[in-house]
Amino acid sequence: MTHFEMPLDATSWSVLLPYLVIGGGGLLVMLVDAFVRTLKKDHLSYLTLCVFLASIVVQIAVHPGEGPRLGGMLLAGDWSRFFNYLFAGIGIMTTIFATGIYDRDGRYRPEFYPLLLFTVLGMMVLAAANDLLAVFLGLETMSLATYILAGGVRGNVRSSEAGFKYLVLGGFSSAFLLMGMALLYGYAGDTNFDAIARVLATGGGATILVTAGSALMLMGFGFKVAMVPFHMWTPDVYDGAPAYVTGFMATAVKAAGFAILLRVALLLQPQLAWAWYPVLTVFAVLTMSLGNLVALVQNNIKRMLAWSSIAHAGYLLLGVVTLLSPAVGDPARQALARTVGESAASAVLFYLVGYSLMNLAAFGVVNVLSNRGGEDADDINRYAGLSRRRPVAAATLAVALLSLAGIPPFVGFMAKFYLFAAVVKAGLVPLAVIGVINSLVSVYYYLRVIVVMYMKDTEADSYDGVEWVSVATAGALAALVLYLGIRPDAFHAAAASVIRQLPF
Amino acid sequence: MSFITDHILTWVTFLPLLGSLLLWTVVRRDDHARVFALAVALADFVLSLHLWFRYDGPGGQDMFTEKVAWLFGGKINYHLACDGISLVLVMLTTFLGPLVILSAWKAVTERVRDYMAMLLFLQAAMLGTFFARDMLLFYVFWEAMLIPMYFIIGIWGGQRRIYAAVKFFIFTMVGSVFMLVAILWMYFQAGGMGLEQFLALDLERQAQLWLFGAFILAFAIKVPVFPLHTWLPDAHVEAPTAGSVILAGVLLKMGTYGMLRFAMPLFPAGVEAFAPLMSILAVIGIIYGALVALVQPDIKKLVAYSSVSHLGFVVLGLFSLTPLGVAGGIFQMLAHGLSTGALFLLVGVIYERRHTREISEFGGLAHRMPGYATVFMITMLASVGLPGLAGFVGEFMILLGTFGSTTLDHPRLLTALAATGVVLGAIYMLWMYQRMFFGKLTNEKNRDLRDLSVREYAVLLPLVVFMFWLGVRPGMVLDRVEASVERVLAPLAVPASPHADDYPQHALGGGTADAPVFVVHEGEAHR
Repeated sequence: MTHFEMPLDATSWSVLLPYLVIGGGGLLVMLVDAFVRTLKKDHLSYLTLCVFLASIVVQIAVHPGEGPRLGGMLLAGDWSRFFNYLFAGIGIMTTIFATGIYDRDGRYRPEFYPLLLFTVLGMMVLAAANDLLAVFLGLETMSLATYILAGGVRGNVRSSEAGFKYLVLGGFSSAFLLMGMALLYGYAGDTNFDAIARVLATGGGATILVTAGSALMLMGFGFKVAMVPFHMWTPDVYDGAPAYVTGFMATAVKAAGFAILLRVALLLQPQLAWAWYPVLTVFAVLTMSLGNLVALVQNNIKRMLAWSSIAHAGYLLLGVVTLLSPAVGDPARQALARTVGESAASAVLFYLVGYSLMNLAAFGVVNVLSNRGGEDADDINRYAGLSRRRPVAAATLAVALLSLAGIPPFVGFMAKFYLFAAVVKAGLVPLAVIGVINSLVSVYYYLRVIVVMYMKDTEADSYDGVEWVSVATAGALAALVLYLGIRPDAFHAAAASVIRQLPF
Repeated sequence: MSFITDHILTWVTFLPLLGSLLLWTVVRRDDHARVFALAVALADFVLSLHLWFRYDGPGGQDMFTEKVAWLFGGKINYHLACDGISLVLVMLTTFLGPLVILSAWKAVTERVRDYMAMLLFLQAAMLGTFFARDMLLFYVFWEAMLIPMYFIIGIWGGQRRIYAAVKFFIFTMVGSVFMLVAILWMYFQAGGMGLEQFLALDLERQAQLWLFGAFILAFAIKVPVFPLHTWLPDAHVEAPTAGSVILAGVLLKMGTYGMLRFAMPLFPAGVEAFAPLMSILAVIGIIYGALVALVQPDIKKLVAYSSVSHLGFVVLGLFSLTPLGVAGGIFQMLAHGLSTGALFLLVGVIYERRHTREISEFGGLAHRMPGYATVFMITMLASVGLPGLAGFVGEFMILLGTFGSTTLDHPRLLTALAATGVVLGAIYMLWMYQRMFFGKLTNEKNRDLRDLSVREYAVLLPLVVFMFWLGVRPGMVLDRVEASVERVLAPLAVPASPHADDYPQHALGGGTADAPVFVVHEGEAHR
């Protein structure tokens, strides 16, 4: 086992700094809320935004180099930097979306901000983890805070149900994960990724342990990314949680889950690809297909987006499947294997970012309307005539949905292009065909919302006023969705270079 | 001006897009929106005239090429170019653009700004599709076309507009996503997305069949080839006039253009295997479309089904694999764009006045609206294929080309069957015309109909002029097309036609009509 005496020199501090900023920021926000009496409602959110911005500044300023740090616990470098930017960005958007709602609905929840920061801290640790312990620490920090966020609307039964459901099922999945880690530790005699990789490479140890252990871990991660058949919680939780939390969960939690799934898949790929590849293929196909088919019949936009997020998890899993495919493992064709693996992993990263952008844009608009119209506010039919009353909000949502459907020239198309390109490159044409058939099915339910917004009219204007900061933010995201759909190359190249920096 | 002429294709393509963005952001009032959109469309037409007069590509080469690295450091490029085939279809698009906007001047009163912006956006996407020489770029434009058309049908359409819009969207998507997978597969074989890289591939027969199937499905739905045509009547009938005109005039040609530019040259083995099937489907489409048109009580539906019939001719011409048939197919695309576009405009004119399209509601209109009746007559005859008007040239060349085809199984039988489509076309059109315009003015509601206004003449007369012009001087178009056709079809290596001298450079190339015209030899014994 790695010894945990941390050499707290300058490098280690610089690795820790972004985490300290977020974690310390969370504490600070909590204390300010408790002790500063003259606080106005908005002030905490400004403070939270400052913390996120500070973490971004720190990331830009401090370069601790590449590789495992802090006794091998965390992976420093472009990989973690990439995810930290993503999480901070999603955090900023979520803060903005949440703030606008608090101003109006009178249910001011100061505890939201520190919880958000702690969730992000957990995600950052999870994405950067280079040790099973760090994985568990990060995952639990993230999860515990998310349980409260999901159940956080006091007095709302559906929200409480969501939180409780998520907590119980999340507890189960954590137990599986922990058991899997224990078995893996039993196999390798170490919790450090590098050490595990070495043991895997030499082929020592009992294969049954690593196979069973990785299967249990896959369940744990599958739960977090809403992979079928571990997806049952998703619709209820996404529906019950406030829309800004749902948006956060659908993007950030999913991104964190895929970050660690990618790391573990890469770690185990040399030894366990034979087992993971067929299993994940089935799961990926099931996830896509079930997500899209059930989304077809949803009348509640949040449930629809929940199922659509399951479907998108399926597309993302295709990337992981490609990573584990025989083409990547083929030692006879090293060069091809390397490029296929690289393009699959970088496609997943690009997809995560693109998906986060378009999903946040969608949830930004849904969020604004969700808190305005009473019980059935999220019914798709309530969006009738939105394009007349709120043209910017409607256009933003339309762009986000078209992008989610994978129509050019939006980023959703480019994300799918990179992903399916990697899949085809690995020779998995049937999987690509299943993927495109799925995105075809998805077109129908995304269009349905646009139909209601643009082509139907109602007399009653139930949405009185729209919180313009949120709409403007969502609009800016939609503009980014368009921009990255036209000029994705620089960003994709950056994602590819992130992948190349990974140790394995 | 050189900053425009150096990037002329980018300008032609993106000027309408720029216009639509300005419409959404800057222009506020409806009447300003109309004038602004018209100005943009006219400017785009003027820009495209530069292409028309400067295009002299030797051997039908691409000209005005623009190529900038887009993705993967140059493996996928922003690559636009224009050859003769693109040229004529682009001219059709930019020519119809201002007319369509002018036609919607009074008809559209709701959300005028959005409507005009959608039309311009659509125009940009269509132009990009014709210019694109990179497969991914082509795909992006091809799919982007769906968005504005979807909104045009869905927002400004008729009663069942939502059904029609969604059907249109889903049908078209079904075809194109498989094409995307095929493109991706070929991309890794070719190492790049350039059309020339794809053409350089030497694929196995089995692979070609699959890929051809994926491509042809996308294009056949768009054309639409029988039995994939069911979205078309719905879309046409529900779309507002301008939408129908663009749909019939340009959008359907995307399918046949795609066949000619991509599916046929890329997969010779696929063409060889599928040409008999495609030609049979084309003939079925010709006859079926005409028969269904015959019994339509609704004028717009009649015109819509006549499109199915006419596009069947185009597909037949393309798969005859003779230069004559293919050139005829292109000419027919153009002629159909003019005549069917004009027919939809005319239907729109009467619909604006009477808010019905039932043929039985009319009768004796010639008394009240002589100008309208005259324009309708010319257009209808052009559509039927009366010699001297545009429709004749294309259909005749296609029939000749099919008759002399060495690759199809029963060329003479196919030709004969297709020719019955011409006859049926004359029947349904003339019968419809007779019921609408001749006889006594019986319906009281038609008593005080106004004849065409100045604006409506301004929309229709340019089309009528070109119907005549193309009818008597087809060489104007064929001169620019023929070399490109030869070049595009070169990979097919069709066995030399026994009557290659019938090729239009003698037959129909304007001004050199002293060569033996329309000599049809017996086709050689077919395989």
